[in-house]
Formats: sequence, C-alpha cells, structure tokens
Amino acid sequence: MTAAMETEDLTKRYGRTTALTDCTVAVPAGRIVGLVGPNGAGKSTLLGMTCGIVAPTAGRIEVLGHPPGAGAAQLARVGFVAQDVPLYRGLSVADHLRLGARLNPRWDAALAADRIERLGLDPARKAGALSGGQRAQLALTLAAAKRADLLVLDEPVASLDPLARRAFLHDLLGFVAELGVSVILSSHLLGDVERVCDHVVVLAGGRVQLAGDVAGLLTVHHRVTGELPAGAERIHADVVRAAGAPPGARPIGLEDLGLAYMSRAAGGAS
Amino acid sequence: MIWLTWRQFRAQALVAALAVAAVAAFLIYLGVRMRSDYAGVLGCTPSECAAARISFGNTYSRQLTLAGVLVLATPALIGVFWGAPLLTRELEERTDRLVWNQSITRVRWLAVKLAVLGLAAVVVSGALSLLLTWNASRYDQFLGERFVALNFASRNVVPLGHAAFAFTLGTVTGLLVRRTLPAMALTLALFAVVQLGEPALVRAHLMTPVTTSVAFDEDAMSRSKGFGVSPSGGAKILGYTMPGAWSLSEEAAVVNADGSPLTQEQLATCRSGNPEEHIRCLTGLGLHFDYTYHPPSRYWTFQWIELSAYLAASLLLAGSGLWWLRRRTPSR
Repeated sequence: MTAAMETEDLTKRYGRTTALTDCTVAVPAGRIVGLVGPNGAGKSTLLGMTCGIVAPTAGRIEVLGHPPGAGAAQLARVGFVAQDVPLYRGLSVADHLRLGARLNPRWDAALAADRIERLGLDPARKAGALSGGQRAQLALTLAAAKRADLLVLDEPVASLDPLARRAFLHDLLGFVAELGVSVILSSHLLGDVERVCDHVVVLAGGRVQLAGDVAGLLTVHHRVTGELPAGAERIHADVVRAAGAPPGARPIGLEDLGLAYMSRAAGGAS
Repeated sequence: MIWLTWRQFRAQALVAALAVAAVAAFLIYLGVRMRSDYAGVLGCTPSECAAARISFGNTYSRQLTLAGVLVLATPALIGVFWGAPLLTRELEERTDRLVWNQSITRVRWLAVKLAVLGLAAVVVSGALSLLLTWNASRYDQFLGERFVALNFASRNVVPLGHAAFAFTLGTVTGLLVRRTLPAMALTLALFAVVQLGEPALVRAHLMTPVTTSVAFDEDAMSRSKGFGVSPSGGAKILGYTMPGAWSLSEEAAVVNADGSPLTQEQLATCRSGNPEEHIRCLTGLGLHFDYTYHPPSRYWTFQWIELSAYLAASLLLAGSGLWWLRRRTPSR
C-alpha cells in the first residue's frame, strides 16, 4: 500500500532559519497519525509541505504517491485544516458549504449537510460570529466533505477549551472510521494524540526524533530506575528503549514517551 | 470559482453600482441642460463665435472638469480598492490556506479572479465613460478640446484600457508586496505616474505631427487666444487651435507670404486706436503662420492605440502575475 506521506531528507529553510532538517519519515495510509513536538519544532512546516502550500528547500516529499499540490487532482485528494482554522469571516456557514461544493468535484453534500445539522450550526450564521469550537468543526466539515483520501489537520484543537477539544476529537474519530480516510494531525498536546492516534511522529528541533505505531513503541520503551540493562538505550532520565522488558521495568504511557524524546532533543534535564 | 469570486465581490459591486448611479444622475442632468444651451449658440457668426465659445465654456467647464476627474480617478480607485487587496486580504486573513486547498489550482483561482473582476472594472469604467462622452459631446464639439489630456483620457474607449490596466497593476502589486496597505499605496503611486507621465511624455509622439501653414485671417483670430506685436517688429499668434485638432504649438510667429518677419513699417501702417480695426488691417496683409498639430481625424486612431497599449500592458501584467504564482507553487 502506498504511504500516506513519505519524505526523504526533507529540509526547509526560511532565510537563515532552518525549520526542518533532513526529515526522512514514512507515514502509513489508513491510520490516524499524530505529529507531536514543541512549538517551533517544524510541525506546521512539514504539514504545509504535505498539502503543497510550502515548498521544500531540499529533499523529496510524496503524498499518496504524488508530489503534493501538483494539480487539481492531487489537491482533491488531500484535505487540509490550517492552524487557527482560517475561514471567510464575512461568509455564512451555508456560503462555506457552497464554496466547498463549487470547488471540489468529489464534494459530499449529504455528509456536509448532515454534519452541520448534527453540530447544530446555523447555516445563516457568519463564520466570523462562530465560536472557536464551531469554527474548527466547520473547517473540519469542509475538509471531510471534500472526500479526500488524506486529511491534514494542523493544530486543530489548539485554540479550543477542553470540552470543545474533547468533542472535536470524538467527532473526528467517528467520521474517520466512517469514511476510511487517512489522517495526519499535529498537536503539541500529547494527551490529545494519545486519545486518537495509532501512529506517532515526534518532531523536535526540526528533526524527526521518533516515529512508529503507538502499540509497538510502547512495547519497546520502559521506565527503568537504576542501572541501564544490557542492550538498552537510555532516551532521557528513566526512559529506556529495549526490545524486551528488563527486570523491574515499568510500562510507559505515550505522553511520557513523547516528552522523553523531546527533552532529549532539547538537551535539557528532566 | 466564478460563484466564489462573485460572492466575495458582492459588497464592493454594490458600492460601485451606487457610485456609478450617483455620477450618472449628475451627468444626465448636466447633459440635458447643456444640450438646451447649445441649441441657443448654434447659429453664431464667426465674429460672435469666440465670445459664444468662451461663455459656453465658462458655464460648463468646471462641472465637466469635475466629471472628467471622476472618470479619470475611477481606474485608480479600482486598482487601489479592487486590485491591490484581492490577494493581500486572503494572505492577511490566512484564507489562502483555505481556498488554495480546495480542488482548484491557485493559478486557476487567480485567472478567474482576474478575468471576472477585470471585466467588472472595464464595465464600470466603460459605463462612466459612455455617460460622460454623451454628456460632453456638444461641449467637445463646440470647443474642440477633445485632445486635452483630461478630456482624452475620460471619454470614449481609453478609460476602459485604464481600468483594466489599473486593476491588474493593483493585483500584481498585491501579489508581490503581500500586504494590503503598502500594496494600495504603491498601486496608487505607480498608476499616477503612468496616468500623468503617459500623456505628458508619450502620447503626442505616438504619431508624427503635421505642420502646416495657416492664413492669418479673422477666422484664425477667432480661434486663437491672442495676438501680440513686439515694438521692434515681429508678431505672434497665441493659442491658435484648428477645430477639433490637437495643437502642439502654443504660439507661432506671424510672417509675410515670403516668410520674412513683420516689419515695424507694416505694423505702423495698421496701428489704430480701435483694436478691431487694427486686426482687420493686419489680416489684409496676406500674412500666415506655421501650425503644428495632430489632425482631428486622428482622434480615434489615438484612442484605439492607447486602448490597445493599455490592454496589452494589462495582459502582460496578468500573465506575469500568473507566472509568478505558478512559480511559487511548490510543485506545479
């Protein structure tokens, strides 16, 4: 199966600032992939390159087997919800759906209408008058009804309160299962990623620190206090990577695992 | 995409329609009044015509200048308020990230916007120009000032070219500058330079002017602004205008048939306490002067040349804007 997204030595520099360095990562299709990392880790840059709004400085990137943003057909296959969910403030909810219908050949009008009704959004309401949660839901609806093969969501819940965030992620899980679409979603909140993602990529300092299936990663990482067992690699503090669980090791959660890799990248103490 | 273009443009279109309606009401009112006045001065004899022309001109020149300035300013306003923010507003609201991720390439997005709004710009400017052309036709016919920079650029087909050019100039400026206010200011400055510089420096040279010899007679005097003699001999006619022509010589020496300057003796013969008597005597001497101009028949040639040049510049600008956007698209 073609990877949802595959990069090779991907690098992006903005003037003298390097946002992403030699990023080589393959993200499988049919999964919900969490892209995590601290602010400024290069998450938005990588997602921007995935949907073709940011051009790489060097390296190669393929999305669903094609260069991103290459022509209308490729654009139709990737749905994108940008950071801060930009919408036309002066256009109503209904106008946004109409925009989606006019600009996307694979538009699923029934899905869009159904979601808007279920979310209780007033079609006549201007997007500028919606709450943060409603804006995020509307943007997600636009991306979903496009019936893309891959959904790219850049910090979709960053500006939402905990309740709206939970509702958004719950809703996301529901329709991803329904549509069978691949998802790459970025967040600096590991808890969110833990809740919905089955594959994770940890990005820090413009480099990929860790990538893999959540279940697999959790079986090879442990918390070990004291001596480092033979054949194990210490990631940060008491977090070690070892094929088999060393004696006395305790299991680790995804949140702590991600933090360990980010801390190591930052070179800081625990 | 056409729907979205219209939806985003609706409010601006309404403002434009109201403005055009207001200007139209003013122009129609003025045009009707001018037509009734014109009927009264139609049968003037050559000696009265100069006075009639001045009086007709005095009555209407101010209103027509105002109307001309409005028509002339329309393309600039279109460039500043429609063109410049077209792309920068999307960038500032970050909605480029929304719209450029629908199943439509950004090149097509810009092409549709340029085509639809460019057409709207031409229609608005064309409507105003048509109204003013109708409104001022009697005045232009009577006073023969069609080639005056303000009149030329605010009548017939030239404003259409200006509007298309100003709009694409604004859009492309926005594309390069990427911020609304600087783009608006730069568009205004660039367009002003073109709109002022082109008539002052370029227009007259688009065709080779004609120089001809004109007999100094009463008719010539009635079409000039003045006549002056110098005590040491020699005479000048000031501001002579052939009806409907574009004069390029502001003043010309009045000379004898053989080209020699007017002598003090000749002037002395004609000196008289009565200015009319004085001129009548001089016109009997068989004098003439050289006159450089573009003939009235060239008016439409100039209009079409200028329209074509501005439209070609618009297409060129639009093409480079599309090329620029395509080049900046990560993978084409």
